[in-house]
Amino acid sequence: MDLARYADLFLTESREHLAVMNRHLLVLERSPGARESLDATFRAVHTIKGMSATMGYEAVTALAHEMETVLDALRAGRLAVTASRIAVCLDVADALEGMVEGAVHGDDLARVSAPLVERLRSMAGDGEHADSPAPATAGGAAAAPLAPAAGASVPRARHVRVDIGRLDALTDLVGELIIARGRLMQEAALSNNPPLLEAAEHTTRLLDDLQHAVLQARMVPVSHIFDRFPRMVRDAARSLGKDVAFDMDGDDIEIDRSLLDELGDPIVHLLRNALDHGLEPAAERVTAGKPAEGHVTLCATRERSAVVVRVSDDGRGMDRAAIARRASELGMPRRGRGALGDTELLEIIARPGFSTATQVTEVSGRGVGIDAVLHRVRALGGTVEIASREGQGTTVTLRLPLTLAIVRALITRVRDEVYAIPLTHVSEALETDRSELRRTRGGEIMLHQGRRMPVLRLRELVHLPREAHDTEQVVMLEIGERRAGLIVDELTSQQDIVVKRFDAARDGGALFSGATILADGAPALIVDVGGLMRGQHHG
Amino acid sequence: MNHTVLVCDDAIFMRTLISDILSGSGYEVVGHAETGAQAVERFQQLRPDLVTMDIVMPDMGGIDAVKEITKIDPDARILMCSAMGQQALVVEAIQAGAKDFVVKPFQPARVLEAVARVLA
Repeated sequence: MDLARYADLFLTESREHLAVMNRHLLVLERSPGARESLDATFRAVHTIKGMSATMGYEAVTALAHEMETVLDALRAGRLAVTASRIAVCLDVADALEGMVEGAVHGDDLARVSAPLVERLRSMAGDGEHADSPAPATAGGAAAAPLAPAAGASVPRARHVRVDIGRLDALTDLVGELIIARGRLMQEAALSNNPPLLEAAEHTTRLLDDLQHAVLQARMVPVSHIFDRFPRMVRDAARSLGKDVAFDMDGDDIEIDRSLLDELGDPIVHLLRNALDHGLEPAAERVTAGKPAEGHVTLCATRERSAVVVRVSDDGRGMDRAAIARRASELGMPRRGRGALGDTELLEIIARPGFSTATQVTEVSGRGVGIDAVLHRVRALGGTVEIASREGQGTTVTLRLPLTLAIVRALITRVRDEVYAIPLTHVSEALETDRSELRRTRGGEIMLHQGRRMPVLRLRELVHLPREAHDTEQVVMLEIGERRAGLIVDELTSQQDIVVKRFDAARDGGALFSGATILADGAPALIVDVGGLMRGQHHG
Repeated sequence: MNHTVLVCDDAIFMRTLISDILSGSGYEVVGHAETGAQAVERFQQLRPDLVTMDIVMPDMGGIDAVKEITKIDPDARILMCSAMGQQALVVEAIQAGAKDFVVKPFQPARVLEAVARVLA
């Protein structure tokens, strides 16, 4: 039989089992007596062995087999679980990771695995002599205890694997159907033909269900990428010689598959920054009255129709004065003379020119790669926020839409042009009396529920002459803690729109993130709420 | 009527492969299970003519699953699928009531032979 068509399945599933292996090996490193983790590691390597044997990947099979033998000796108590043994197992896991990829592409891998096979064999040989169990912390200070990952055993539902391309095709078709539906509904409404209208409405409801089902099928838990982070953090912390406790939360939160794939790199960047620049060396921490062990947290939560990912550290925070000084040295414009606010801080360190100034990133504690993070997240229609307190740590918050393909939007009009505003960032739409609006030196503001809120006019943003009305139509925008009002000529309707995304502009001056075709066939620009809020100056 | 089969293995890869081999030869794969406990539960529901059973699975291992299934039906036809180096476990499984075994890596012809033997 033709095994080649099973290669993808082999690869995907091997990666999953390797992630499971890594996770449990880390638990064992910390708690050598964790029987369940030992069993889970054994099962994972056993499964990899069986699969690779079936595929005919001999080098992978042989290495997995040797590891299984060692794990079996550990399980039977012939060998003690020690930090050094777990370290070898982690090396084997790394090698296997590369080898399964290589095997699928026909590489010869015995070369890679031979030294590890030897190490495993001599380790298994140890079990035949009396073995004096070394303490599990033999690795010394570098063996930083790491929090065990949540959800040690993940129950899996029955499922089939579908190529993401097919799901994309399905999503696109649903998108086209939604546009077609809009036209059908309009024609039906004009037809004065009740049975036709009824049929069209029925179609509408079914299509809503279909859209929901298709989008649901694209959702995967973030654990798909989170699973590899405990291992990565451990290795990075070790190579930096830092003691780090790492916690993850919310890895069962679901997000669109295509977004998830894009999210991995930015999170890696942020974790590395936190470890490298955020956390101080142990001695410095102790001097500052903090525990020697640094703390890094990664958590995911749902917030309305967005997924929020936060990376926090309890390190030194950013040195605002040094950053401000450096910004002025580089001739970067400042918004004001006072201390840097979090928003401006992010703006400055996100400048490509700034982030390459390594000398400063050591002082400032951050910078490298943050522009890449920002660029990537904004390209996905998301936003980035930073909150840093000197001496207490830094939190970076990423907000992403649940899905890229179809969003619900408020349709607005300014003169003859139609603009769509994704509801993700709309808290309400209202009419406000002219008297509620004030001009100030920092820009126009309005009073809303007793709060002063900055106001923007879409008319002016698209360079049309200002037009004042007695009552203004205001769309209240909200991203995290920040709010602003956007004045338009008219609120038309709410619609599901199929997003055709532009490439996000790097400088943050972009007004629009994409375009769409509305139900009546007319094109509309999609307002980039994140960009708008960034561009807006606080007095 | 085609013989019905329940395929038990914790790897989707293996379940897919075994299912493909069997359905390619006219067997009807009526269910999958990825843990021993699930295997027992599905057996109870589906009453298949044949069960293929992996030995190493989470939750409840294959051998315990064989014991549970033969309690439900002493005549259950179970084919063990083991990896190399598990001879002792295979013997235990046969004692527990499994009818035959095949060793991974699978040769489709061997699997089909064993299935035919068990169903004979």
